[in-house]
Amino acid sequence: MQSLRKSISSVWRALFGDPVRAFGVVSLLLLAVLAIAPAKEHFSEWHSYQNRYLSLIRDRGDAVSLRRRFQPGIQQVWLPQLGVVDRCATCHEGLTEASLADVHAQPFRQHPSIPHKLDEFGCVICHRGQGAATTVAEAHQSERAGEEPILPARYIESGCGQCHQNALTGTPHLNQGRVMLARYGCVRCHTAKLPDGSTVVATDDPPSLMHVADKTTRAWIYSWLKDPQAYASTATMPNYKLSNSDASDISAFLVSSSTPRVGDTAAVEVKFTAPADPAVGATLYGESFCASCHAVQNAAGNIVGGNVGPELTRVGNKAKPEWMRAWLENPRSYNSTTLMPHYRFTPQQVTIMAGFLEAKLDSDYGTNVHLDAATPQQIAHGKKLTAELGCAACHEINGVKKPENFAPDLSRIGSKALAQIVFLPGMEHSLPRYISSKIQQPRAFGPGLKMPQFTLTTAQTSDLTNALLALTDRSHTMPDMLRVAAVRDTNYQPAGHAGKLMADLACFSCHRINGRGGDMAPDLTFEGSSVQRQWLDDFLKNPNTLRPSLIRRMPRLNLTDGDRKELTDYMLAVYQSPAIDQDSEPLTTNTPAVVEHGRQLFYSRYACQSCHIVDPKTDKGYIGPTLTAVGSRLTPAWIYAWLKNPQALRPGAIEPNQNVSDEDARAMTAFLMTQKGASKQVAKR
Amino acid sequence: MPVQEYGIVERLRGSRVWRSVFRSGTGTSTLHRSLAVQQNIFLHLFATKVRKRMIRFNVTWFLGTLTLGTFFILVITGVLLMLYYHPSVPQAYADMKDLQFVVSSGLFLRNLHRWSAQAMVFLVFAHMFKVFYRGAYRTPREFNWVIGVVLLIITLLLSYTGYLLPWDQLAFWAITVGSNLSSTVPLIGNKIHFLLLGGNQVNANALLRFYVLHCVVLPLAAIIFIAVHFWRIRKDGGLYVQQSEPKMKAVDDAALATTEVK
Amino acid sequence: MSEPKDFIAGVDSDQRRSPTRVVFVTRRTSAQVKVTHEDEVQTFPEVLFRAALIIELLAVVLVVFSLLFNAPLEGIADASHTPNPAKAPWYFLGLQELLHYFPPVVAGVLVPTLLILALVVIPYFDVNIEATGLFLVHRQKRLRIFYVAAVSLLLFLMLFHVYVAVVPTVIVAIAIVIAANSTLESPHRFRRYLASKPLAYWIMTWFLFELIVLTAVGTFFRGPGWSWVLPWRS
Repeated sequence: MQSLRKSISSVWRALFGDPVRAFGVVSLLLLAVLAIAPAKEHFSEWHSYQNRYLSLIRDRGDAVSLRRRFQPGIQQVWLPQLGVVDRCATCHEGLTEASLADVHAQPFRQHPSIPHKLDEFGCVICHRGQGAATTVAEAHQSERAGEEPILPARYIESGCGQCHQNALTGTPHLNQGRVMLARYGCVRCHTAKLPDGSTVVATDDPPSLMHVADKTTRAWIYSWLKDPQAYASTATMPNYKLSNSDASDISAFLVSSSTPRVGDTAAVEVKFTAPADPAVGATLYGESFCASCHAVQNAAGNIVGGNVGPELTRVGNKAKPEWMRAWLENPRSYNSTTLMPHYRFTPQQVTIMAGFLEAKLDSDYGTNVHLDAATPQQIAHGKKLTAELGCAACHEINGVKKPENFAPDLSRIGSKALAQIVFLPGMEHSLPRYISSKIQQPRAFGPGLKMPQFTLTTAQTSDLTNALLALTDRSHTMPDMLRVAAVRDTNYQPAGHAGKLMADLACFSCHRINGRGGDMAPDLTFEGSSVQRQWLDDFLKNPNTLRPSLIRRMPRLNLTDGDRKELTDYMLAVYQSPAIDQDSEPLTTNTPAVVEHGRQLFYSRYACQSCHIVDPKTDKGYIGPTLTAVGSRLTPAWIYAWLKNPQALRPGAIEPNQNVSDEDARAMTAFLMTQKGASKQVAKR
Repeated sequence: MPVQEYGIVERLRGSRVWRSVFRSGTGTSTLHRSLAVQQNIFLHLFATKVRKRMIRFNVTWFLGTLTLGTFFILVITGVLLMLYYHPSVPQAYADMKDLQFVVSSGLFLRNLHRWSAQAMVFLVFAHMFKVFYRGAYRTPREFNWVIGVVLLIITLLLSYTGYLLPWDQLAFWAITVGSNLSSTVPLIGNKIHFLLLGGNQVNANALLRFYVLHCVVLPLAAIIFIAVHFWRIRKDGGLYVQQSEPKMKAVDDAALATTEVK
Repeated sequence: MSEPKDFIAGVDSDQRRSPTRVVFVTRRTSAQVKVTHEDEVQTFPEVLFRAALIIELLAVVLVVFSLLFNAPLEGIADASHTPNPAKAPWYFLGLQELLHYFPPVVAGVLVPTLLILALVVIPYFDVNIEATGLFLVHRQKRLRIFYVAAVSLLLFLMLFHVYVAVVPTVIVAIAIVIAANSTLESPHRFRRYLASKPLAYWIMTWFLFELIVLTAVGTFFRGPGWSWVLPWRS
């Protein structure tokens, strides 16, 4: 013990006995400690990942070439224009190695094929995360101000949406989400500014409530307000979770504020008689192709029909008979901007159709609703609620102004800082989670929140979240040259009497002309170059579909001869393509030899029958339209030009451009012009 | 024994080159050792001899020396950090990230600078209180105390200006909170605020201004005042010796009219 | 020059040990030599190597600390996102704590300016040079002044709800009361110690306590909206 202490003290004296010697000893200690810093560097995470990558490729067949392409050290993509410094490839070494397709362990997985080069855009622009970081935690999970954690893979399409304002084929979820953003009326309360300065425009068509009492009863409004989806499962109106008294007061206010309209009340005079045979109504409903726009729930519970107009399963519960008649006679007298065409029904047809629709009711719906007559206080309260809940953001209501900036701006929601978000207890701290929860259960985030409950599936919510996540700061600040603009509707308006007619018939609800209109039916911009007068006239008289597999069809609008001539003249005169010269391809004067040559080209060289049907007995192509009557429908000039380059006439046409030579195109045109078979059927009808 | 141990050093010190650099020459005599201090421009700030009691740890806790030590570390690490730093927005913050993730030992450098700066502020305060409680501010050392207060302010300003340079949220808001105080000065507050930041709020101008202050103006001021501080220690009669016998308080220092003759 | 000299001169004889010393003693005062001899050491190497040694030890500690703990780095500065709370560097948190109670012009301008002035004038202020215990002379009078000052200070602090600053004030006040009731002949060492302390000591001690408490509160116990939080419950 004594000796130990003695030796310790002697060592101590030897080392620290006088200041000079102690100075030397401590200097060495300081140097040793300083040397730890570079040593620590050497054992950094990215070094070990690069070593693991090297051992991964060592045993592979193409080890030599992989080894040659491997670059040690920090790998960096620097894009000063975008403010991007990405060092992801330091660890993710195999991103561009096609031969590593079988490696599924991160960080060495190969990047799926995308249209962009990885080093032109880096990683964080789409994936988020902190590109500058070289540690796993910092790169993927940083939540500091101005930094974002990695985006889950199912929201990756939002990355595309920052530049691409147009719909891409590779981003179905983003496209769907964007459609929903406009269609579900989100942007009627929220503002969503796009990088080009425009705002997302709502595409839904919420009805005006200024004359709502003409259309329906207070009891129905009450039931609807309580639960719109109980009336129609496809209703886009969200559920405001109103109390009974609030719903009662609002319904009282809406009815009391409604003003009667001349066109609606006139119909009351007409004596209403139910048709003897319900099948007559069903036939008319079918022939008018109401199902192209309106859905009905069938006995099996499936929703059948389009989603342009409201679901009609229980329309008999809603619409007053007198209103229904007036509506069917001319929808534009009640709502001048409705998407519904003005069918020229005869009074007889109106009676049949109204009877058919009024019979569509659920006798149990709304039976337990008993509303007492409203007091002025209740009506006043209803008006107050209407203003508070922002009903006027969507609907026109007498006495309530459309609110401005009613809900938070969503223009940069995709970059909302996590530090600014109040999460629900137990909720995952991420922006996608926050957005999707806000969509799915908006009222859970605190009492007094006004956002109503939408009925959306998980997939729909995810799509909508994708669209919202694309609204980032970066999308607003990036250089203009990187932006791909969306295709926007023009405000094209056809002129003259024909123009008025087309508005009345709501052609633009389905057809697109000169950049305006719906996408349900074919674009008619060059219809005048494309079809023959006789066919167009016949088609307007009695539309039949070109593609048998489609459910949505052109309805029969019961046009008069005069109206038809007006429309046909206008379309043939105005909707001409400058690229097509009708005189270059005469209708006749083709020798049978040329036709036969064309037939052979059609069947053997270009194998068109794989998509089209010319001979119904042998051909099985259903992708393209049936061509049995193409000779009496299309003009030869159009067919010729189409064969030469389909995409030049209709961008995005799926028919491949086969680089058909002039002679081949001419021969096939001659062959197709002989296909007039269906014209006989038209004549027969 | 010492000859063996310091053999190499002694031979080095005896060499022509060494002697051309250090005027004091070899030898361990009192004269040589005095010359080593006297003939050196830096060490000349110190007296050649000090009272033996003063080098005991308990007396000063070496707080002044430690403060100087942090200053040395800060100058060295600061110069190295300047090699990687651009005082511009937002490059300044990107440089922090580069230091952290790419520069060899960059994070270590920044850590050392940051922690040393905190240590310096703490040590300056500790030094001040220790000097006060030792009573070492009394005549004839009043003015050295005042210089010490100036150095305290310079230290705080150095730390404060350096705080903005990383350009992160912490920096931005700390400087915003701090600089807003200056605008509460009556009458000329807003002018001072504008002068301090080079604008009405913390922005790129403020960053550049703070950078120049932090890297040039304030360190130079600190070096000058540190030199004066040391020089005054010597001129004011070395470190203050506290009376070891507390009961003899009645004795007045002025009564002992003893002066040193250099 | 014919007048008699008013002093006698003496010379220190040990010239090898220290520089020559000359002493002049006037006739009106009686010389009292307090320290006859003081051991001295050479600055080089005794002091310089010790200083270098202590600096190196500090460097070792700081280097190890820097290897273990990373300096904080938040997200990039963003003028539109205010963190809550927005805190100044720790050494200013005492002032920021005061800012919570007093108008900015007081806490941000007046208090720091007065503090610096006070620090500057300390060595020039008469009371400080008088290094005798505060209550060893004029005890009653000084005690009365102290009570008035202490109570008014406490009332002032209470008026502005600065309860944080009250605690150190009370502690120092109690210590001063103990000092006033102690003498240099007190049997307890601590009481002898307190009794010997001058006014400047008490003021500085109060300042030190306040500085520590306010800074610690501002650093550790203040959360969003400058409300009280417990540091271990973050």
